[in-house]
Amino acid sequence: MSERVVISPTSRQEGHAELVMEVDDEGIVTKGRYFSITPVRGLEKMVTGKAPETAPVMVQRICGVCPIPHTMASVEAIDDSLDIEVPKAGKLLRELVLCAHHVNSHAIHQFLIAPDIVPEELFATAVNSVSEVRKVVQQVVDVVGGEGIHPSDVRIGGMADNISEVARKRLYARLKQLKPKLDEHVELIIGLVADKGLPKGLGVHDKKPLATDVLYGDRNNFDLDRFTEVMPESWYDDPEIAKRACSTIPLYDGRSVEVGPRARMDVYQGFKDKGVVAQHVARALEMKSALSRAIDILGELDTSAPVMADYDIKGTNKLGVGAIEAPRGMDVHMAQVADGKIQFYSALVPTTWNIPTMGPATEGFHHEFGPHVIRAYDPCLSCATHMIVMDDEDRSILKNEMVRI
Amino acid sequence: MVLGTYKEVVAARSTDKQIQKLAQDGGIVSGLFCYALDEGLIDGAVVAGPTDVMWKPEPMVAMSSDEILAAAGTKYTFSPNVWMLKKAVRQYGLEKVGTVAIPCQSMGIRKMQSYPFGVRHLADKIALMLGIFCMENFPYESLRTFISEKAGVDFDLVEKLDIGKGKFWIKTADQMLTIPLKETHGYEQNGCKVCLDYVCELADVSTGSVGTPDGWSTVFVRTDAGETVFKQAVEAGVIETKSMDDVKPGLGLLEKLATDKKTKAMKVIDERKAMGLPVPFKGSGEKEDPLANV
Repeated sequence: MSERVVISPTSRQEGHAELVMEVDDEGIVTKGRYFSITPVRGLEKMVTGKAPETAPVMVQRICGVCPIPHTMASVEAIDDSLDIEVPKAGKLLRELVLCAHHVNSHAIHQFLIAPDIVPEELFATAVNSVSEVRKVVQQVVDVVGGEGIHPSDVRIGGMADNISEVARKRLYARLKQLKPKLDEHVELIIGLVADKGLPKGLGVHDKKPLATDVLYGDRNNFDLDRFTEVMPESWYDDPEIAKRACSTIPLYDGRSVEVGPRARMDVYQGFKDKGVVAQHVARALEMKSALSRAIDILGELDTSAPVMADYDIKGTNKLGVGAIEAPRGMDVHMAQVADGKIQFYSALVPTTWNIPTMGPATEGFHHEFGPHVIRAYDPCLSCATHMIVMDDEDRSILKNEMVRI
Repeated sequence: MVLGTYKEVVAARSTDKQIQKLAQDGGIVSGLFCYALDEGLIDGAVVAGPTDVMWKPEPMVAMSSDEILAAAGTKYTFSPNVWMLKKAVRQYGLEKVGTVAIPCQSMGIRKMQSYPFGVRHLADKIALMLGIFCMENFPYESLRTFISEKAGVDFDLVEKLDIGKGKFWIKTADQMLTIPLKETHGYEQNGCKVCLDYVCELADVSTGSVGTPDGWSTVFVRTDAGETVFKQAVEAGVIETKSMDDVKPGLGLLEKLATDKKTKAMKVIDERKAMGLPVPFKGSGEKEDPLANV
């Protein structure tokens, strides 16, 4: 006899989503469906018709968890549409902000999963460790990005300002000093995940990983021709769920994919482990890569070099693509600028890619492990929500049908 | 209490000959900043720096004594230093910032420190705020009118501007021109008319020429932070002091001018309140001491 286990909303993640699992008599999941029930934000529509500079400022507010990747993807997309070549120092500063954000965001996720993996007597140690790491890297975001949460200095054409030599040396020293601390932190997290003794094979699936770069993101590695998007109606086989799901289903080569730290390490670093434990390990290891890249950048940065390109804001209606590797996975923004205004804007965000993969990943294990599988993806729903249910006849919004929070 | 809360008031001047030459009066602001920078008490200061346009300052972050000296002297038109503070702790990466402010700016900075909205991690990084006495401040165009229209001098020839003894002084290489202060009224910023603060009551240390002879400044040491820096600077011989009792015209003149400014501003505040206009101060009927800066 098949039974349904519903977790709504799923907890310790950003935004609201629902996990519906069909289980057999032993409680083993036979069919998992995960979908977003976060209300639509509509930011892509809001920026249409506005001046290009408006877009990064508005879309970074899609979410307070990864505002930095959204800002980066937005400026990169508009840079591409306007054919801007960002000066080298500007590129380095952007990469530096993102590296620091990677470390910060991964640390936040470790805080969120702490109740799952950390025994009580080590809880304070783990949380303090997270806080110490975050404090240092957030200072980098503050100084370079201009603001720790919604960076004001990441601009179309580069960065608003270069940092001073004093700031460069200071941050370099702080990050160097953080290195042993971070190594210890990573070891602690990997150890805690191993000690938890999650069943072998939990969360393993056969979906392909998708990533564009080791850490930063490269639009050349994202092939728009291989991308398609389907409505939830044609994806979920349950009409009730299909109706309530608020996100579209993006596919690459017609299949759903996995994005995120494990996917990046799979594609670029030969890390072939799969499943929940592998995702946590990859995320922790990636903090080390991000920190060491940030230290390298601070070592080579020329603080007297220009960071902003000259450009013409008018635009030729070219479709610009900005692909950024956000902590949770690949974040692609697309923008068309013509007559000095944004004509089209679209964001393909990390968790949207993962949503169709996450449900099936819960299959084959007891439903009690469902939340572990979901959290391993560090889902962030507010940016993933892209659509609302509208009546095709009169274009009216079907209220009450869409979300239940 | 028309002069605000203070621990000590003295007449003082910088002992450095170069600072004496460049500075407006006693060179207290330049002297203290240079000393604090050299001693590592601050790692940079937001000051009103020079620009290509004469007498039109722009905020700049000074990280060496040379840069401090390049910004020495009073400008008489505003330099939005508060705006630069955030940049000083962000792109410049400073952690102990000094800044110089006129009373309205000092109020803004203190308020910002109390309610750090939009200025995360900034409030605790302001290590030293030096305040300047201010009766009123002129927009750049007003200043241009005094100099090129009323006094008839080319802006570029002006070497120093000063206010004192009831006159606005314009010094060029070969002459000294004056405009009676009466004629400058009406050219000040609108906000100056409701300002209740003459001696920068909220700064760590506030200073100005009034009350002391030429080449000296009156210095109010107001907070613990201000006292630490000022005392150290005096002990190090960077600044020399005299008792206010030994100098003319002394505190009496300051008290008179501060009372005049407050009384005049209170009248305007009450008038504006009666008309229902928004004023960021209490009316005289709403507070115990009608001359208090609240």
